[in-house]
Amino acid sequence: MTVLASPSRGASLWQRWRFHLSALVLILPIVFGPAWFHENAFFDGKKGLGQREIGEIAVGPWSVRLAEFKLVAPDAEGRAGHAKEFALALCPACVDQVKAAYLRVGKPRNLRTAGALFSGTPYRQTAEMRVPERTTADDELWLTLEGWDGTLHQATIPIRKASPVMAAWLEKRGRP
Amino acid sequence: MMGFRTGGLTLAVIGAVSLFIGAAWAHPPFCICKMANATTVSCEGGFADGTGVPGVRLDVIRYDESVVLQTKFGPDSTVSFKRPDGEFYMLFDAGPGQSFDVDYKDIQ
Repeated sequence: MTVLASPSRGASLWQRWRFHLSALVLILPIVFGPAWFHENAFFDGKKGLGQREIGEIAVGPWSVRLAEFKLVAPDAEGRAGHAKEFALALCPACVDQVKAAYLRVGKPRNLRTAGALFSGTPYRQTAEMRVPERTTADDELWLTLEGWDGTLHQATIPIRKASPVMAAWLEKRGRP
Repeated sequence: MMGFRTGGLTLAVIGAVSLFIGAAWAHPPFCICKMANATTVSCEGGFADGTGVPGVRLDVIRYDESVVLQTKFGPDSTVSFKRPDGEFYMLFDAGPGQSFDVDYKDIQ
């Protein structure tokens, strides 16, 4: 006759709870699934350019559609401070002419300081724009488009128009 | 059989967790400049995800766009230089869209 060794307490707890754990693992996606599909459709662009479209902005001979990617205050980026994400779509006629789009707070000194570079397709690209410490709600965003022929064109968008959420966040934060 | 069950559970967990993994996020650059002493500026550069910037270019440029100094971050992602007179800015340039300019007024 063989005597079965009794499992340790830890092993016993694991045996008892692993069923509940596996059930939880299967239930969680069901609970959070709708939110995930909503978010995924948003990242795919099926829900539009961004959560809040700012509108059509003329930039020299070109135009773009600009949107707040998410309706949230700027994200904390550790030592890099805060950043806010925007989405952009080039006008169909200028897709072949625009090489790059940049966005920053305040007037850039030159192309090297033009700010965050938009990446993605010409029809929907995003950039995470840095929000400098000294930014106020009355400042402006500067959008710079660089053409394949080397030409540069710029447009300004008041922060209050570009992102009321960000303006409110800046006012609440106050000037350092 | 036991191993098969454990493997199945692991796959279920990985599958469930992967549903909540979002898109990759950008990691913006930063450059923090301080006065190391009365005459020397010390700058530390990097990216928000902790990536260092050894060998990356840092230019010190006057407001009239004349370049005072072209230097690079050291192995510890810091660089020190004598503070120029007048109005200037420091440009940490890791490529298009990956630059960070610090005005002389923002030297801590």
